[in-house]
Amino acid sequence: MSLRRNITSGLRSLLRRKQADRELNEELSGFLEMAAEEKIKQGMSRKEARRAVRLEQGNIEVTREVVRSTTWESSVETCWQDLRYAARRLRKSPGFTAVAILTLALGIGANTAIFSLVNGVLLRPLPYRNPDRLTMVWEKGRDGSPQNVGYATYLDWKSQSKSFEQLAIYSSWQPVLQAGGEPEQINGLRVTSNYFRTLGVHPEIGRDFLSEEDSPNTNKVVMLSHSLWQRKFNSDPSIVGRTINMSAAQYIVAGVLPASYQSLMSQDPRGGTVEIWRVLGYDVSQPWACRTCHHLIAIARLRDGVSIAQASAEMDIISAALTKAYPKEYDDAGVIITPIREQLLGPASAPLHMLLGAVCFVLLVACANLANLLLARATNREREVGVRTALGATRGRIIRQLLAENCLLGMLGAAAGLFPAYWMPRALAIIGAGDLPRLDQIRLDWRVLLFTAGVALLTGIVTGLAPAYRLSKTELRNCLQQGARSSANLSSSTLRGILMASEVALSLTLLISAGLLLRSLSRLLVVSPGFDPAKVLSMQTSVLGQRFSDNKIVRQYFADAVERLRALPGVPSAAAASQIPLAGNMDRYGFHVEGKIHANPEEDPSAERYCITPGFLDTMRIPLLRGRDISPSDTSTTQQVLLVNETTARRVWPGEDPIGKRVKLGGLDKPWWTVVGVAGDVHHVGLDAAPDMQVYVPHRQWPDPDRSMVFVIRTAGPPTAISSAAQQAIHSIDPAQPISRIVPLENYVGLSVQGRRFASILIGVFASMALVLSIVGIYGVTAYTVSQRTREIGIRAALGAQRAELFRLLLHQGMLLVLCGVVAGLLASVAFTRLLSSLLFDVRPTDPLTFATVVFLLVGAAAAACFFPARRAMRVDPVVALRYE
Amino acid sequence: MADKPSDLVQGTLDMLILKTLALEPMHGYGIAVRLEQMSKGVFRVNAGSLFVALQRLQRAGLIKSEWKATENSRRAKYYALTEPGRQRLNTEKQEWGRQAAAIARILEAS
Repeated sequence: MSLRRNITSGLRSLLRRKQADRELNEELSGFLEMAAEEKIKQGMSRKEARRAVRLEQGNIEVTREVVRSTTWESSVETCWQDLRYAARRLRKSPGFTAVAILTLALGIGANTAIFSLVNGVLLRPLPYRNPDRLTMVWEKGRDGSPQNVGYATYLDWKSQSKSFEQLAIYSSWQPVLQAGGEPEQINGLRVTSNYFRTLGVHPEIGRDFLSEEDSPNTNKVVMLSHSLWQRKFNSDPSIVGRTINMSAAQYIVAGVLPASYQSLMSQDPRGGTVEIWRVLGYDVSQPWACRTCHHLIAIARLRDGVSIAQASAEMDIISAALTKAYPKEYDDAGVIITPIREQLLGPASAPLHMLLGAVCFVLLVACANLANLLLARATNREREVGVRTALGATRGRIIRQLLAENCLLGMLGAAAGLFPAYWMPRALAIIGAGDLPRLDQIRLDWRVLLFTAGVALLTGIVTGLAPAYRLSKTELRNCLQQGARSSANLSSSTLRGILMASEVALSLTLLISAGLLLRSLSRLLVVSPGFDPAKVLSMQTSVLGQRFSDNKIVRQYFADAVERLRALPGVPSAAAASQIPLAGNMDRYGFHVEGKIHANPEEDPSAERYCITPGFLDTMRIPLLRGRDISPSDTSTTQQVLLVNETTARRVWPGEDPIGKRVKLGGLDKPWWTVVGVAGDVHHVGLDAAPDMQVYVPHRQWPDPDRSMVFVIRTAGPPTAISSAAQQAIHSIDPAQPISRIVPLENYVGLSVQGRRFASILIGVFASMALVLSIVGIYGVTAYTVSQRTREIGIRAALGAQRAELFRLLLHQGMLLVLCGVVAGLLASVAFTRLLSSLLFDVRPTDPLTFATVVFLLVGAAAAACFFPARRAMRVDPVVALRYE
Repeated sequence: MADKPSDLVQGTLDMLILKTLALEPMHGYGIAVRLEQMSKGVFRVNAGSLFVALQRLQRAGLIKSEWKATENSRRAKYYALTEPGRQRLNTEKQEWGRQAAAIARILEAS
């Protein structure tokens, strides 16, 4: 109550400052008048009475200040005064102010931009209820890696475990939606009916999936994302309960999810966001529901009070029992449980933290630069501070006043630095951010603004503290003397030296990090993907319709489609494959080699499977190393043949000829395939991952031919020029077939390095900023020192010192500091770059070439920054120099 | 010694102002005069401490103020006790009585 009154009346007197002052004045002078009148009544003259009252009561000005200064609002007022004074001073030296604000804007702007990125991607809460209770649950592979689960395993986990409130699974699904215009392939997931209950997400309209819908022979129900609902169904709420056509089947719309929910489960930029969910509808009797059918991903919500360690312990026991019961169906016992956060955001956090570290360095360099500027200014301000001290200002008051100036600078710098954060989303769209999730959530929100304000204040205080402290210790006597030399020259030049050396050290560390990353990128870009992506167009298609339930028709359709594409003008070759490298596809089959099958077939290796039409190797320009390619004469009636890649040949048949060897794919109950050729390795997952085992099987021979295929079309001209002709060619066979993801192969190659390119470009930009800032800093310090020593130089020159000697003298100090900084920076780099090792490719964290290049560059630039001011000083006529000051 | 004004015991100025205002609303100078009169010249308050105290009491909601004309038709700010102020005066009076009695007992103990 009284606190509120205190605040409100304080605010009132702040806002009506003049009125409050007038009232206090009137009250005080009334008091004195009345006292005087009293004395007049007692017989004094008016003049005597006034004098007596003044003697009794003291100076009325002081009294007024005393009364005013006891309120809280008066300290607000002095702050305001300090700020206004600071603003006046800054306006008086526009050059200094501009340089300082620009320096800070660079440092703070970089920080704000990267923080807004970190905030959007990592700090915003995940769109689930209590996301920290959500975990991923994996089977543990023989090598300790997390692996997907089979449906039967999931059912056992679910019925036996007690640690989880909910356990759900999902797998990817690419249906073709036939609604609102052209048929379109969209990204979806097949999920168990408790999937959304596990995540804690409720449909905005409609209902959640029912558990009785989660079996093979019921209605197929789907959930729509808000964006799909808007895009394809015009936000029509009556869509709920209606039937929609997808991939030649009918589905009932159960509900629409809220706009705030964006699926993070598929974050592959090549895959796009998930827009539709369908009930999994499995049954253990189905062949794809087996224990070894590892194609499902499990997520779980931990029960309250159960830790991940407790859940792991329980699941390990369950898994051990299952392994014992089904020894041939499990590779190894064990379960891996990881927080969902780590799964979804983990890959993004290393580069983001690295960038955050980099911008911190930039800010520190900017701070050091500004502190140096302020120190130089401080020397010129000693007189002013001396006068203020003489007039009774306390040291605290002076420090506060000087800090107000710095905080004002910080705030102005921050205001300028907010622009990069505002433009960040657009900038990211230009340089491309690779596979960072949730990029659309980057914006200026209160967290970013708070962060920027905090950084600005901290920067202002940190940069200003040293100069302010030094100034406040100014010896009164010294600085009031006319023409006195700066009194604390020694300590401030030491400070300047330390600041300059640390700038060099920080820049060096940043430059080395950037150098290592850029070298990794350049190493990566020269890695051959194993095929020639130039001038190849890819497009995805799925066949749908009742007539495609016949395998023969599917095979014939793709053979015809490839023929029509080949007949196009300017198309030397074309083919189709179930998946293509670097496009984010994932299709692996167990690889069981005749005579080398393990007792537990689950321990056999697996290979990436490409189901291809003849001419695929030729179109992709994947070299055939041995044997023969798949030909049109390999049909369902001839011997089943396949190609393996070099890695498979080397790993499975070392020192043997693989041609003629036989393997089974995806289970021992499958038929034998005979190796007829060896193809070159291709990078399937990424350029930075070593090629794995790969097999190529003929689409004409595969028992259940793939219905979703990617066409690859080699073109004579630019690949996109052919795209409409290619679509027409496909549609000339069947106009109802959807075509999607029409992408030149080169784009996939580019996308696979985009995350790395993004991080490398940004850190390169930051390192250049640090370099420029520190060069400016070195130049500034040298120029200042030289100007302080002009008189000394003049004397030395007059006494006969040689130019070269003087020059050496001047360069010596600056370069010594630079070298100190280089040594410190090298030590720091050795410590820091180890943290980068996960982001490097084919470059060691202590790569001597990078280190040497960066040191050379930095020392060269620093030498230039020292050289020019020194040379200017040398040109000064000794006579002029002696008269200087 | 006795004719020289004494310094107030720490913290008692607020209580004495409240007591002065309990009789009737009063302006600043009036309060000072009244304090001096009632203490028979022992306490003399200067304008600085008086107005600081008045400001503090008003912020605490124990007194309120109003501009009025004095008997000499001069404009002055009159202070008056509020209900919380009256309660505070009572509790302070009791507390003071207890303490003064206790101090007296200690000093008179032989």
